[in-house]
Amino acid sequence: MSGFDFKYEAERFGLVFVWIAIVLLFGAMRPDTFLTWSNFSTIFGSEAVLVIVTLGLIIPLTAGDFDLSIAQTLTLASMATAILNARLDVPIVATIPIVLLIGISIGIINGAITLFFRVHSLIVTLGIGTFLHGITLWISNSQTISGVSPSLIKYVIVTRVFGIPIEFYYAMILAGIIWYVFSFTAFGQHLLFTGRGKEVARLTGVNVGAVRMSAFIASGFMGALAGILYTGTTGSANPSSGTFLLLPAFAAAFLGATCIRPGRFNPWGSVIAVYFLVTGINGLSVLGFRTFVQDLFYGGALVIAVMVSQLISGRKERSI
Amino acid sequence: MTTPSVGAASGAPPLPSRLSIAGLTKVFGGNRALDAVDLDVAPGEIHGLLGQNGSGKSTLIKILSGFHAPDAGSISIDGKPIALPMPVAKHEAMGLAFVHQNLGLFPGGTVLENLIAGDHGRLRSWRINWREEAARARRLFATYELDLNPNALVETLSPVLRAQLAIVRAADRIQEHGSHDGSAILVLDEPTPFLPQEDVQALFSMMRRLSADGVSIIFVSHDIEEVLDVTDRATVLRDGKTIGSFETREMSRPQIVEMIVGRTLETERSAGNTIQSDSDGGAIVSSIKGQLISDLSFDVRPGEILGLTGLIGSGYDEIPYLLNGSTTAEAGSLTIRGETFELASLSPAQSMASGIVLIPADRQRTGVVLDLDLLENISLPVLDRYDRPAFINHRKLRSNAENLISRFTVKADGPAQPASDLSGGNQQKVVLAKWLQLEPVLVLLDEPTQGIDVGARAEIYDILNALCAAGASVLCATSEYEQLEAIAHRVLVFDRGRVSAELEGDRVTKSNIAKACYLRNKGENERV
Repeated sequence: MSGFDFKYEAERFGLVFVWIAIVLLFGAMRPDTFLTWSNFSTIFGSEAVLVIVTLGLIIPLTAGDFDLSIAQTLTLASMATAILNARLDVPIVATIPIVLLIGISIGIINGAITLFFRVHSLIVTLGIGTFLHGITLWISNSQTISGVSPSLIKYVIVTRVFGIPIEFYYAMILAGIIWYVFSFTAFGQHLLFTGRGKEVARLTGVNVGAVRMSAFIASGFMGALAGILYTGTTGSANPSSGTFLLLPAFAAAFLGATCIRPGRFNPWGSVIAVYFLVTGINGLSVLGFRTFVQDLFYGGALVIAVMVSQLISGRKERSI
Repeated sequence: MTTPSVGAASGAPPLPSRLSIAGLTKVFGGNRALDAVDLDVAPGEIHGLLGQNGSGKSTLIKILSGFHAPDAGSISIDGKPIALPMPVAKHEAMGLAFVHQNLGLFPGGTVLENLIAGDHGRLRSWRINWREEAARARRLFATYELDLNPNALVETLSPVLRAQLAIVRAADRIQEHGSHDGSAILVLDEPTPFLPQEDVQALFSMMRRLSADGVSIIFVSHDIEEVLDVTDRATVLRDGKTIGSFETREMSRPQIVEMIVGRTLETERSAGNTIQSDSDGGAIVSSIKGQLISDLSFDVRPGEILGLTGLIGSGYDEIPYLLNGSTTAEAGSLTIRGETFELASLSPAQSMASGIVLIPADRQRTGVVLDLDLLENISLPVLDRYDRPAFINHRKLRSNAENLISRFTVKADGPAQPASDLSGGNQQKVVLAKWLQLEPVLVLLDEPTQGIDVGARAEIYDILNALCAAGASVLCATSEYEQLEAIAHRVLVFDRGRVSAELEGDRVTKSNIAKACYLRNKGENERV
């Protein structure tokens, strides 16, 4: 593209401008509580978990698959971390790889069922997610489990860099890795073609099945990682932790696909979308609105995001 | 009921024709798809409609079904003029029904569900009485001596039963609506190409029964044998014009072929004499077996364009996909540059690595991804060349795509343009650029110029000729005889999964190919 395409650039950064605008709006209304560094560093830190879940979602979404089980993978991973570490006294350095392996296994199961039986991933992961939630309730006896190693908490939330909890930087590193894979590797292009034109990809020698399987494994891994960080953030695991993260993550993934690289699921767009959404909710709660604004905001954002992305692509018929 | 109303003089005595079409014309962007076509079908007659691809048959059917509005001409049924364009979804009320090649059945539904689907008289009622409907279906099937269980799933039926079900459904619908003494017209649009011989006969006896009941049938077919067998009269279309109508039994096959193909001007042949007699090179295919193709062996020499053609259902069009592993063959092998592949286990990735590329016919679904840009579409097969040492070098990839876009004369703003912005011809050039940058040894083409304008077509021929001159072997499956005349060195003509004729050199002409396609080997197929 030659020169500066104003319209395209405006579209790319539209969400960033809206974000800045709401920050200024809430800041003007509640300068003392909203517009403080401690408020923002809390938002940046505590929502890193949501960022990672969203990043985990966009990998299968790019390949044309849904992973609805990611939130329950998070819950199970969070609970497994607490049980292994606090109840069974497994050292945290051993707990983390075990939990990550659980996440990878869930990805393999999702992928294997979707690919071998040729069932839509929406159905498979919906069922697997609910099944995982059952396991979580079972192993935890529906109790919140606390007492995890302080070193985990230290390396997740207590340590701060520029005043922001370190888990924020973990999320940014992951976003950077995914951005690199999406933009600079053949695998990233294979993911994209698998999602947009399976037949084209197959006839061009792309192993479509392996690509989709890798995407499920990646989202399982990211779900488990988010679960570990969740336990580290709160110092405990509760059996419904992930339940309220699924919709926000989808909202952020689709909203993120309207900016930075419009028309595509992309990591930096996802990061911006997450912080846009949580800023909005934080601002509204600072203004005194009660918890229902969460549902209004997340639900509304998801629907508006898909409407906007359909407008970007000229309202073409889509399978899902 | 019909509402004949256009200003034509009414009160004239009804013509003997059930359906009368006069001067029907349809222009698509300067191209006369139909040019003053006339067609008369008598009551109770089976009337064949013959013509090559592009002769106007489908346009005519689409006007009859209300899909296209004609630019000129008139249609009347039983002497009553019909207001044009034909009203969509009202033709049953006028006693007109269609069975298209895909039959319009829902495979996961039962026979009964399919039978009443779209039967608004029944579906609009608040309660469907399934038992009564099943009894009615049984009576209907008994009338036509059809052994069909109303509760069977359509997907479990044999192809011929499905075709018969579709025909019975259409016939039932028009007889139910067309209150006046069975005055109905049934249009069968190529219902037979995938059916075995015996089954075609079963279908024909059903058609004869319907015609004996007074139903007029328009039978669209490529197949002269079938038309000779079942029709009373037939009409031939060529280049959008009516060439003639005749009593079938008074015509011979060669006469009909002559009418279908016409005396064509010689196309300028661009196939050069670059075939190398090098025995090492080229591709040798032995004993492949696919869906329709069985035990087929042939070879393609380096620098040769080998054409594959035949009528619809003859199986030639599955060969390109079998040879690169995108459709799994049941058996057979391919030897290329001394390396032999078992086709049953060949994958598209392996075939690419060995210098085999496939340019598929369905450009919009399998050739390019429309909402991705040209850079991405072109780069997909060569990404591994540009991701050294650690990441894709976007600058080099982009300049590669820019070079290809200009080398293949793709008319586009640049590599960042989405493929959906391009015309069909330019999309096809993008597909060619994508694949030919691999410098393949064997190029497999399926309908390479489908839906492409004349200018782009010539450019694509040039590209293919240059490819041959460079020593590649090219296999081109197409239903366009003219294209083969223009570029092929040799042509294999298929009939029901086997090669029925081979034409080489100067014998590769449009009319020779057409004759070979239409006049299939007699003997086992003789049945008149």
